[in-house]
Amino acid sequence: MAGSRQPAAAGAAPPSRGRPPPGRRLAAWLSQERVFRLIPFIAVEAVFILVIIIPFILTIYISLLRWRANRPFEQANFSGFLNYGRVLGKDEFWMALGRTFYFAGAAVILELLIGFVLAYLLHRHFRGRRLYITIFLAPMMVVPVVVGYNFSMIYVDSGPLNEILAPFLEPFGIDPRIRWLSHPLAAQWAIILADVWQWTSLTFLIFLSGFAALPQQLVDAARVLGASPSQIFWRVHLPLLKPAIIIAVVIRSMEALKMFDPVVLLTFGGPGISTQTIAYYLWQEVWVFNKYSYGAAASILLLIFFAVFIFLGIWLLVRQRESVRRVDV
Amino acid sequence: MRPGGRSRLRRYRQAWVRHAILLAWTFFIVFPLYWMLSTSFKDAGEWVSWPPHWYPHEFTIHNYRQIFTFSALGEELSRDATEQAFSIWKALGDSLLICSVASFLALVLGVFLAYAISRFAVGGSKFRHIILTIRMVPPIVIAIPILMYYAIMIPFTTELLFGARITLFDTYFGLGALYVATTLPFVIWMMLSFIDEVPFTLEHAARMMGAGRMYTLRRVVLPLVASGLVVTYLFVFILNWSEFLLALTLTHPEVTTLPVLLNKFQSASEGRLYGPQAAIGTVITIPVVVLGVLIQKHLIKGFSFGMIRR
Amino acid sequence: MAEIVLRDLVKHFGSAVAVAGVHLQIEDGEFLIMVGPSGCGKTTTLNMISGLETPTSGEIFIGDQVVNDLEPGERGLGMVFQDLALFPHMTVFENIAFGLRVKKTEEAEVERRVRAAADAMHIGALLDKRPSECSGGEAQRVALARTIVNDPSVFLMDEPLSSLDAKLRLDMRTELKHLHHRLRATFVYVTHDQAEAMTMADRIVVMEGGRIEQVGAPLEIYRRPASRFVAGFFGVPTMNFLEGEVAAGAGDGLEFRSTRVVQPLSASTPAAVAGSAATLGVRAEHVRLAPSDDGAGRVTLTEPLGDETLVFFEFGGSAPLVAKVDPDSPLGPGDPVAFDFDRDWCHLFDPESGARLN
Repeated sequence: MAGSRQPAAAGAAPPSRGRPPPGRRLAAWLSQERVFRLIPFIAVEAVFILVIIIPFILTIYISLLRWRANRPFEQANFSGFLNYGRVLGKDEFWMALGRTFYFAGAAVILELLIGFVLAYLLHRHFRGRRLYITIFLAPMMVVPVVVGYNFSMIYVDSGPLNEILAPFLEPFGIDPRIRWLSHPLAAQWAIILADVWQWTSLTFLIFLSGFAALPQQLVDAARVLGASPSQIFWRVHLPLLKPAIIIAVVIRSMEALKMFDPVVLLTFGGPGISTQTIAYYLWQEVWVFNKYSYGAAASILLLIFFAVFIFLGIWLLVRQRESVRRVDV
Repeated sequence: MRPGGRSRLRRYRQAWVRHAILLAWTFFIVFPLYWMLSTSFKDAGEWVSWPPHWYPHEFTIHNYRQIFTFSALGEELSRDATEQAFSIWKALGDSLLICSVASFLALVLGVFLAYAISRFAVGGSKFRHIILTIRMVPPIVIAIPILMYYAIMIPFTTELLFGARITLFDTYFGLGALYVATTLPFVIWMMLSFIDEVPFTLEHAARMMGAGRMYTLRRVVLPLVASGLVVTYLFVFILNWSEFLLALTLTHPEVTTLPVLLNKFQSASEGRLYGPQAAIGTVITIPVVVLGVLIQKHLIKGFSFGMIRR
Repeated sequence: MAEIVLRDLVKHFGSAVAVAGVHLQIEDGEFLIMVGPSGCGKTTTLNMISGLETPTSGEIFIGDQVVNDLEPGERGLGMVFQDLALFPHMTVFENIAFGLRVKKTEEAEVERRVRAAADAMHIGALLDKRPSECSGGEAQRVALARTIVNDPSVFLMDEPLSSLDAKLRLDMRTELKHLHHRLRATFVYVTHDQAEAMTMADRIVVMEGGRIEQVGAPLEIYRRPASRFVAGFFGVPTMNFLEGEVAAGAGDGLEFRSTRVVQPLSASTPAAVAGSAATLGVRAEHVRLAPSDDGAGRVTLTEPLGDETLVFFEFGGSAPLVAKVDPDSPLGPGDPVAFDFDRDWCHLFDPESGARLN
């Protein structure tokens, strides 16, 4: 039964085989566990080092120079930590940072609340559920620049928003053609609203996955034990959804702190500097005013600053995952 | 009978409230998209008329013709804008090229690493989270170093080594490499949730029958996560397709992606060209929304971040 | 030829010791079953033989070759897994052909051998189905066919029947035994089910805590368990145990004394155990019951099994005892009984180490 044509090296070959040919040897080498576990690791680390780490080291160097684009790089003088001092001493930097947190905070809170309510309303099957889900997830796919563009068209003084508000404003003699993006506060909330429009879809998706992962027997058990719907919600759903909530908070906070696209598309940071986020501020400093060393220093400072949040976020995610695993066992 | 009737009444009211909320949100989601679509079919006079037109009174495909034609354009467009309008074909090509190739490379690299993490716990038990840090760094913080790296350090080094200044700034490779690096964490995360579900014993069985690791990966593991591969690829493609900040800061004029092109329309000196812009917006939105709807079911799984476990 | 020798095999997982020094010689062509509770190291031992786990120390010989450094596929073994590990994306045919395809066998040869293996397992009609369309028993046969087709000299099986329902499991036991006779290959089989081990094995290896407790033929293990653990593990119902001490008896023999029990021991009991504390073990079939108004015991429960009846009774000791009696016995709950043990079948164990004393 064993067949007379046993290939030389593969499979259940007899132990008395000669040296395998080079191709086989390569395959055998590739099959070794230590090769197999390390090669992808090294490849990915190499990408990160080449594309992320080395540029950062270079940036640290540049941040220590006194250099703007009007002069060749080689002639720049060494200036020590001057740039760092200038960044930290600049009110606009701090205001942009504060504004970023204000936008991110407001947007994320709204997105979490709305996303949760929508996921809760849609977590059980009823007619039309799939259609709602499809529509609610769509904004995630829309290119953010298009979102910014769409909202700029809606906020425009002769746009549909004002037309909707007109019946409420005209009786009081107010011209309904309000230039929303020219009022600092309105412009700020216009940006927040655009962010909420787009990214509630993500929190909704995460909560929907969370509800899908709920063990239905637990809910049924609670119902059999006579728990009211509100008790089920607060005592069963909410605690079990903690992982989803943590994931949504971490991911959305991190993304919201990057906010850039709607600012460029809607307000260019204006009116004045009232809608400059930190990303927009730095972009302007480097790409519009060509203050390279200053931008480098700010970028490093920002990274250090964000590292705290990133590690907080990662820590929360790790803890969440481990708690899931404990429940699992 | 009474309590039954009351509970049915309550259920009706609940259903009514639920649909009211859901419909309100549906309106909020759909309206901006509808407005873009409707504006894209409006003639120039209707773009900003007061009161605004809820639907195009004079239906026209002029805007689409403008953004896609190579020949002479509508007289109401300035020369400047006309030149910009020309570039959509190129931007479309650039976007497709960079996004598809970068997404593919990220997928290949990421799948192998996700497999190694899932099977051998490469990098320790927390490595899968540490990888996410890359994704959490704001792109502007990456963009500044990359600008200096691409525009200064690499030309400087290549001149020293080869005597020629080679820059990665404003090149397909430069932007593509960055897209690979920034989307890798997502590839790894999404693929982990699929690969983790392939039972170890399937691989053990294959190896007992003499299959090498590559053979096992190719014939057993990858076919079983095929849908995951497709979903991850499409999702990463959408991410790259939407990316704006890095493309804005690290390319132009040679390489232009669609979001950057759309932004240029926005800042055109002649006043905003709402119609053509809406047309471009529609053109670049429809394919990704369709893709998104196709992978929707799998996205729910890919975004479960290990919450769903069977 | 396909003799397997394990020499001082040790496996650590981090700080946990899964296998703590296993010596074992598995004869060519025997049906060897490793049995023990979960976590005893039996599966880890099997996986080290298969090559899926690397031993921390020790050597594995297959034939006269050390195979520690050989890949699993190079050892000439076949394995059936607990969850069967059928590839869900392939048809039954492709599943069975997998090993042949790895070896780049000619297509005609693949076709011929897959059909032969499928026919041998009576699954010829299933070849175009997917594993998900097969019933539990069919999937089991597919898994076996997939292993047989590669013609291994050793079959490793990791609780292959645990996914089947009770009736099917009994049928498959018989079938596996037939298969073993037909193939004349070495079977190394892991299970936690002592009944499976008793019914199929040529030899049984009992493992506990990463060590081998006893190796022997099924009846030998049943009749002369080497330790309290083995005694308790085999047999239904579980052997009765009494704590007490051994002392010189009324005659010239020894006797075992415990609360309300004085049991004379057989003459073969070594004299050295006299005076020491001991655990007495006796199987239900070696407990003799008689209705008696002045007996020490009182029946609490009876379980008729058909061919015999189990009688549980209290006697004032620490735990109730169980006896096997004739099904026509009139005993019922509440009845007083007198009992004693068959002195030739009394097992004595060290209460500390659990080792056998007689």
